[in-house]
Amino acid sequence: MPIEINWQLLMPELIIALTLIIVLVFDLFDSISKTVLGWMTIVGAGIALWVSIQMHYAGTVGTQFNEMFKVDNFSLFFNIIFLVSTILVVLISMSYLDRGDRKQGPYYLLILLATLGMMLMAAGNELIIVFLGLELMSLSLYVLAGYFRESPASSEAGMKYLLLGAFASAFFLYGIALIYGGAGTTSVPAIAEAITADDKSPLLLAGMFLLVVGFGFKVAIVPFHQWAPDVYEGAPTTIAAFISAGPKAAGFAAFLRIFMEALPNLQVEWSGVLILLAMLTMTVGNVIAIAQTNIKRMLAYSSIAHAGYVLIGLAAANNDGISSAMLYLLIYCVMNIGAFGAVILAKTEDGESLMISDYAGLGTRKPLLAVFMMVMLLSLAGFPPTAGFVGKFYIFKAAVGAGHIWLVIIGAINTAISAFYYLRVVVTMYMREPEEELEISPYASTLVVGLILAVIGVLLIGVLPSLMLTPAQNSVF
Amino acid sequence: MLLSTVIFLPLLGVIAIALLRGLGATAVKGIALGIGLLTFIISLGLYTGFNADTATFQLVEQKNWIPGGVSYHIGVDGISLWLVLLTTFLTPVCILAAWNSVEKGLSGFMMSLLALETGMLGVFCALDLFLFFVFWESMLIPMYFLIGIWGGERRIYATVKFVLYTMAGSALMLVGILALYFQNDNSFDLTTLSGPFEHSDLLFLAFFIAFAIKVPLFPFHTWLPDAHVEAPTVGSVILAGVLLKMGTYGIIRFCLPLFPDAAEKFTPLIVTLAVIGIIYGALVAMVQPDLKKLVAYSSVSHLGFVVLGLFSKSSAGIQGSMLQMVNHGLSTGALFLLVGMIYERRHSRMIVDFGGLSKRMPIFATIFMIVTLSSIGLPGLNGFVGEYMILAGSFVGQAFSKVYVVFATAGVILAAVYMLWMFQRVMFGTLDKTNEGLPDLNAREIVVMLPILLFIVWIGVYPKPFLSKMEKSVGVVVTKVQQTEPAMGQLEQQKSRDPKLALQETLRTQHEKREKEAEQ
Repeated sequence: MPIEINWQLLMPELIIALTLIIVLVFDLFDSISKTVLGWMTIVGAGIALWVSIQMHYAGTVGTQFNEMFKVDNFSLFFNIIFLVSTILVVLISMSYLDRGDRKQGPYYLLILLATLGMMLMAAGNELIIVFLGLELMSLSLYVLAGYFRESPASSEAGMKYLLLGAFASAFFLYGIALIYGGAGTTSVPAIAEAITADDKSPLLLAGMFLLVVGFGFKVAIVPFHQWAPDVYEGAPTTIAAFISAGPKAAGFAAFLRIFMEALPNLQVEWSGVLILLAMLTMTVGNVIAIAQTNIKRMLAYSSIAHAGYVLIGLAAANNDGISSAMLYLLIYCVMNIGAFGAVILAKTEDGESLMISDYAGLGTRKPLLAVFMMVMLLSLAGFPPTAGFVGKFYIFKAAVGAGHIWLVIIGAINTAISAFYYLRVVVTMYMREPEEELEISPYASTLVVGLILAVIGVLLIGVLPSLMLTPAQNSVF
Repeated sequence: MLLSTVIFLPLLGVIAIALLRGLGATAVKGIALGIGLLTFIISLGLYTGFNADTATFQLVEQKNWIPGGVSYHIGVDGISLWLVLLTTFLTPVCILAAWNSVEKGLSGFMMSLLALETGMLGVFCALDLFLFFVFWESMLIPMYFLIGIWGGERRIYATVKFVLYTMAGSALMLVGILALYFQNDNSFDLTTLSGPFEHSDLLFLAFFIAFAIKVPLFPFHTWLPDAHVEAPTVGSVILAGVLLKMGTYGIIRFCLPLFPDAAEKFTPLIVTLAVIGIIYGALVAMVQPDLKKLVAYSSVSHLGFVVLGLFSKSSAGIQGSMLQMVNHGLSTGALFLLVGMIYERRHSRMIVDFGGLSKRMPIFATIFMIVTLSSIGLPGLNGFVGEYMILAGSFVGQAFSKVYVVFATAGVILAAVYMLWMFQRVMFGTLDKTNEGLPDLNAREIVVMLPILLFIVWIGVYPKPFLSKMEKSVGVVVTKVQQTEPAMGQLEQQKSRDPKLALQETLRTQHEKREKEAEQ
């Protein structure tokens, strides 16, 4: 039977795949400057972003390939998150990579591959597709984490990520197998039909918990978070930014799709688990972040804590919860990439400024950079009028609406805890004198553009949240 | 538009300074002072345009902001009017006072000060809980910089402590706001909020703790001395003058009218804490060797009076508290300014380093005397009117035992002890050699102090214009807070629904009857 393909539905994915091929081909020509490849990636992702936004506006819905692939506002909104992250990451990567003989071609290629994997995960209407997307994304990320071959830390990060990630994938696959055993299908809508409220086979429950473990790993939820700080610290800073943003959103996209669409009848079972995990994740992430002296590790623990906030939205398990989690992921991606971008921008002649103490006196030495950094950190801490506040506010609101007052109280207290370590960097930048005068490298223009975009995004969403809130609310499946 | 202009004009000044900072220090100061004065002049329009015959919010502006119950809704009533005016009044005074004292990062300093003004004005004018919270939190950042960058030696410790204390409180308030939202037809609008609310005890506490930290009520006060001592002079003035009032304002705007039952329930506890604060603050102030710390602890004591008056739930008590908020802003603000002036000259705030200053600095000593007396509550100056009304209102109000009032009155005497003793040690006695060269106040400093003195005397002699504007709005709060039981019509309905309430009612009438019989 010939399969009818609705090309229009697949436009964003096709554009990324096409860009991928173009980058691959142009990488063969040594005469072409490698930054051109970066620009190609940006243009390709930009077009895909534009198409996704248009399709989102139009409210395109449809399935492809025997309902294995589902395009709806939900997947399109996540496409927007992924593509925005990709564009920002490439912008902050171009000058970072432009040192000596580092091969840049495969870097952009892998980023595009990972992006394609994420898009598959968000659109997967079938557990196998989700798994394929997950693997496509993860394999690219393993390579990217170890991209600086000459750096032992980077290689170690790649290795660690690969080993632990493979375990997580195995858990995930095992979970799929058990669910197939229980429900007799791997299609998302069919699973939902197969599970009735009074028939909960232990196979299904075991499969569900294994999925939680698998996803928990990918999005770094406590107690499956151990890999994150090491990988973030060792990986190239741009890749740390990338791993902390898009893939986390992709993990949550599949998490949301599977749990809300395929397993709604098991909600009683999973929502309690998610509440517990959310509390643990926020608290452990924030408390350990306080003790960090390395800014990349601090941001790693902070990103763990942020996964906990998103989990609050999932645990609320209503439309408000889903839309606020999506909004939060978008905001989080922008501000986190912005924060990592500021870290890259702060590099000195001796190398990157990775210790928090390196930032002393930055407020007077590099006022513009300090302002970028401050906006991102205040947003991460959730101060109004930044986007971070809006994101947290709507997450908390959804959870209160669902009756999880205690969860919100713990979340709110965590916000206060997190303010301590974010503000410590601001204190260091503005209120401490540097021990030695470090010469900061001149600004790279692409990096500054990326940061300015992030700052504008964070402030704009902070003042006019409806710009993104309404689309997020329209994206609940 | 008037109110929005007042709120956001300082923010415009921030942007102007950011763009024009290259023009040099004088230009930056000029812009800041110009914007500060302009804001004050425009804000006088609030006073003249304010109708004292109604308790409703005036100069209201409402625009949809975020779909789903968030609107940009602002307005003033008799309660917020004076705090708005106090803010717009103190800011230009502060800018002028800081004219020569900022050595590094002048433009940043002025930008923080103006941004802070917008935040504070927003808190007092917001009629939407979301908007209120946005202003409440965003105001922290400029204050954080003011203390952290331009403060004293332990400034970082002090500023982080200040921010964390406030954030811990506001975290709970955020939960409270969200819980109210779902009981208010999914709207954050303050004006449509009407009780009784579910879990009103918890909601009351969620709000009250946030405000109590800000006030600060004993035992939440420990951040205050640190913040005050480390903050630059102007930071202390704003902190004492306006920021602390955000706490008491919150109590009168949210805690009392929204949760009268809970307020009734917690009154004994809160009033006890307030009285402990009054006496404890005064006693600790007495033994401070540092002038600034002394004034800081006197704030704890003074704010205790304000909380006492608010929970007297009587018209006189609440009006007195309102007036005392303004008074405290003026006289404690002035005290911090004076301490700052002497610190700039001598680089010391230790009382032992001074003595006999009145000989060298007669103008300084005179102004200091007037402000000291105002702070003590000498009849004829502003402090007396506020304190008298608070104590009288508490005494007749019968919201709590008169014993509290007796103890609180002791606080007035203690205030006289620590303030006058301090004055004596600083101004009289033998003049130390090192202090012989201290110059008296210059023209700028006199200009800074004069307007404050004017109001100190004005409120003391003729407080009626101030009281009459707030009378109606306070009256509404009083009626709301005295409705600890629902009004008659509602009561009948509730009784039929709630047998427990009906039983309580019967018991109460029986009790009253017995009391009457006993009297006969």
